[in-house]
Amino acid sequence: MDLFLQLLANGLINGSHYALLGLGFGLIFSTTRIVHFAYGPIVTFAAYTAWLISGSMGLPLIVGIAGAVLVAALLGTGSYLTLYRALERNGAPPLIPLIASLGLTIVLENLVGVLFGTGVRTLDVDSSVHFLGPVFFTSIHVWQVVSFVVIAVALGAFLRRTRYGRAILAMTDDPEMARVIGIDTLKVSIIVFALGSAISAVPAVMVLLKDGASTHMGFAAVFMGFVAVIVGGVGSLRGAIAGGYLVGLVESLGLWQIPTEWQGSISFVVLFLMIMLRPQGLFSMARK
Amino acid sequence: MEYIYHVAVLFCLYAILATSFNLLVGFAGLFALSHAALYAIGAYTTAILTTTLGLPFPVPLIASILFAALLSIVIAVPALRVSGHYLVIVSLALQVIVLQVIVNWKSLTGGTDGISGVPTYSFGSFALDTPARFLIAAMLGLAACYWVAWRLTRSPFGRALRAMRENESAAQSVGLDILYMKVSVFAISAGLAAVAGSLFARYFSYVGADSFSINETIYILAMVILGGTGNLRGAVLGAAILVVLPELLKFLPMPVDIADKMRLIIYGCVLMAVLVFRPQGLLPELRGKKAMFVQTDAERDEADTAKLLDGETGATSETVLEGRNLCKRFGGITAISDFSIALRSHRITGLIGPNGAGKTTAFNLLTGFLKPTDGQIDLRGKSILGKKPHHLVASGVARSFQDLRLFTNMTVIENVVVALPNQAGHRISNLFLKPLTVRAQERENTALAMQILRFVELDGKAHETAADLSYAEEKLLVVARLLATGAEVLLFDEPMSGLDQTTLREILPVLRRLAERGKAICIIEHNLDVITGICDEVFFLDEGRTMAVGSPAELMSDPELAERYFK
Amino acid sequence: MTQPILETRGLVAGYGKKQAIHGIDLSLTKGETLLVLGHNGAGKTTLMRAIFGLNAPMAGTVHYATRDITGRNPAINVAEGIAFVPQGHGIFPSLTVRDNLELGAFVEPSSERARKHLEDVYDMFPILKDRAGQVAGTFSGGQKQMLAIGMALMHGPSVLILDEPSIGLAPNLVGRVMESIAEIKARFDASIVIVEQNIKYSLPIADRVMVLKTGGVVYAGDPEPLHDHAKLIEFF
Repeated sequence: MDLFLQLLANGLINGSHYALLGLGFGLIFSTTRIVHFAYGPIVTFAAYTAWLISGSMGLPLIVGIAGAVLVAALLGTGSYLTLYRALERNGAPPLIPLIASLGLTIVLENLVGVLFGTGVRTLDVDSSVHFLGPVFFTSIHVWQVVSFVVIAVALGAFLRRTRYGRAILAMTDDPEMARVIGIDTLKVSIIVFALGSAISAVPAVMVLLKDGASTHMGFAAVFMGFVAVIVGGVGSLRGAIAGGYLVGLVESLGLWQIPTEWQGSISFVVLFLMIMLRPQGLFSMARK
Repeated sequence: MEYIYHVAVLFCLYAILATSFNLLVGFAGLFALSHAALYAIGAYTTAILTTTLGLPFPVPLIASILFAALLSIVIAVPALRVSGHYLVIVSLALQVIVLQVIVNWKSLTGGTDGISGVPTYSFGSFALDTPARFLIAAMLGLAACYWVAWRLTRSPFGRALRAMRENESAAQSVGLDILYMKVSVFAISAGLAAVAGSLFARYFSYVGADSFSINETIYILAMVILGGTGNLRGAVLGAAILVVLPELLKFLPMPVDIADKMRLIIYGCVLMAVLVFRPQGLLPELRGKKAMFVQTDAERDEADTAKLLDGETGATSETVLEGRNLCKRFGGITAISDFSIALRSHRITGLIGPNGAGKTTAFNLLTGFLKPTDGQIDLRGKSILGKKPHHLVASGVARSFQDLRLFTNMTVIENVVVALPNQAGHRISNLFLKPLTVRAQERENTALAMQILRFVELDGKAHETAADLSYAEEKLLVVARLLATGAEVLLFDEPMSGLDQTTLREILPVLRRLAERGKAICIIEHNLDVITGICDEVFFLDEGRTMAVGSPAELMSDPELAERYFK
Repeated sequence: MTQPILETRGLVAGYGKKQAIHGIDLSLTKGETLLVLGHNGAGKTTLMRAIFGLNAPMAGTVHYATRDITGRNPAINVAEGIAFVPQGHGIFPSLTVRDNLELGAFVEPSSERARKHLEDVYDMFPILKDRAGQVAGTFSGGQKQMLAIGMALMHGPSVLILDEPSIGLAPNLVGRVMESIAEIKARFDASIVIVEQNIKYSLPIADRVMVLKTGGVVYAGDPEPLHDHAKLIEFF
């Protein structure tokens, strides 16, 4: 029973992490329909930026986080304006941006290696261990959950209450109809690339604090983001959150029966089964 | 010198990989990005069979090919269900899973240590133990793989693959077997990749999971896209450039690990730049006369088009296709109910009615694209219920689509030839076992296609790309493609919509002539001129029900129907 | 004769390289309701999309209030007073009715005027007020169409283009929607172009009619002659 509770807690903590990755990825994907695979290495870039500022240069962590957010937002917007926009203008078929994004992925991933070196980079922070009954967790775990809740609430408010937030919702629902009512869809695309990438910098810093940054961390990040979105159903940010938690829980509780070395594969198997059996997602509304 | 041979061996390996990947990505349009995993399967199978069982050449090579082909069918399963983004992501996930299995199955694969000590090829005392010597084996491997790929793509099968890539449902509608094509192209592409894998194991005498990462798949993809998707020579050229180009980095002073990263950065940049600036690649797909693989003189030969253009009943008109009490429900919505129709040879039957009346649903039911909830469909008295569209085409029922669905990146004549029935060259085994039969038949078929184009007066544009046709010409090509199936029952979904008056007057007689030659024709149309001009009998549908059946004049003069139609 | 508020000359448009309309002259006088009829595939939708700027015209011109707006970004057209209701429910199905209406006023800089428009729309379609919090996708076909029209009125357009507002609606609803459209002219002082296949209900609200066939104009003028079925059969 104690083990179960611990695994449940781990699942919820990882679930928050995945949900946050899913929010950033899903915001970009559902609004622009671009499968921005290079979301992954941008996460990596953000983590290394935070390490550079707060680890190497010794500035406070909050400055590191701000730097990571800024770099991620710039890289995200840059990828849209230089790469995806050019493809859209050429009238490229929908699959092409994804293929180009794979190219961008290996460029950015290796650029991280060239700029920051390949070793794992860690940042020491005071992380105390807490107990809640038989369940233990660290302060970083708490930050992961809190940062997710804060960002999810803030994003929700932005989307509901502001003019451009609603424009994003409108474009997610129907891009052409958004143009019909006079929304500048180029501007909205730039905003979601900036915002979605900025959000991804937060889980990136959390990985840096928890396990350290490595050049390959981005691949897992974009896959988890994608899995969360697919499980939840494309076009629904609430679905992405639910999907993130579901994957976190399945992965964690799966450890009960499955040897640890396979933990990394669980999410890929979940993704595989989801796409095969229910590509529209678990929670997507039935609509044409 | 050894270094140059080494680069040449690498080129051969990657040229095999790029060629095999091109079959899948370029010709079949299936972006299943798990090629490096199949490469890995080939390498590991050879490594395991030589080191643990000591099996002699060529057993490990054959085992590699077979095992990879078998495993690729697992990847083909998702490709049958999903496409586009989903296929890309699911195949990337499969690649990760395969590599995880390799790393975790330590007893068999050595885990992260990999397997070393794989023996190179040796024949008596002659061992291929230097790059120069190994180059012989690598070149033979490349030549064999290229030949297989060339045989496949420059054939009716290759043309069918491209048709499937252009539009899957249209490919089905002209009688192509999608399942067979997908599974076989996956298996062959995987088998060829396994040849490269097997060579890899022999050459380096070591296999480790690091060599087969997702980056490797993207690297191979970059070669295909740079060289030109759907062009065999293109992929080889792409491999040559991307193998040699990064080697030049070796002349720049930089640490090895940085150089390795720069290499990958170059690949990524090349991939992006090509997609933005030259999406067709350095060597684009063959078009025009070059797309044909038999001599174009054959077009001048006379061909017997009678068996394609004539009906089978002779001079009398009789019922060919009959649907009785057909009903189709989607969830709670009834699209069509109690629909009965008999299509007769020498007759043109029209379906009219407002939007959402159930006309296209009726077509989908009669041609096997949808299964009726209830009712019976007979072709010459035999039930055809539940048959797949491509079977129905072979039995003589073919349809066109409202949105045309031409194979737009193929030439006009290719659009027609691909639809001709009973092509020996659509079966892979015949390409290798009966090449002469395939060739002779192809010559006949080319001539036949030309005759059909002449019939619709498109012969002057035979070698133009379908995408460059005018709207009216596209409509004519739809008719030609449908005729090529040789089907007796032809169903046209809005063949005239969007045409101007002059063109209309050109197409109408074509349909009339076909009916005169004995075909049973059914058309959906909104233009009343067309209906009154050519239909013998008209069904008026509304809200999924048949409101009236009769001659066009009868229906037009019925005030109640006019009221309904112009509501 | 007053200057037309919307006018096309020799407009040619289509999809990709394919022409669907071959040189169409259309003119809409201020305060007028122009009915555009034609069978499926006659080019009606292509014409409307080309006027509004969703498809770039291949040749010809579009003038709005004497200014050339050929191929202009639809966002500017909306801001300057042209509203378009696309075929098949121009709404955002996963948002609430209220959100939809407010998005309709996206280009309206004055929140005060937007409030005024909202009141007018509520006044005209009280059901939208009653169900303001409902998710629009759960509406019936007729309600969706009212919402779509309501959205288009939210920025106070001078020209309203409706593409087949009756499509997929039960006959009694078609009548209701046409009545609303007639009412718009009175209340909102807008000139209207309405594309239809449903002749019975749309003809009575038209001041003038244009019939398209195979991408060209076969009739332009009074609605009167079209009450005759024989005439209709000739045009369709």
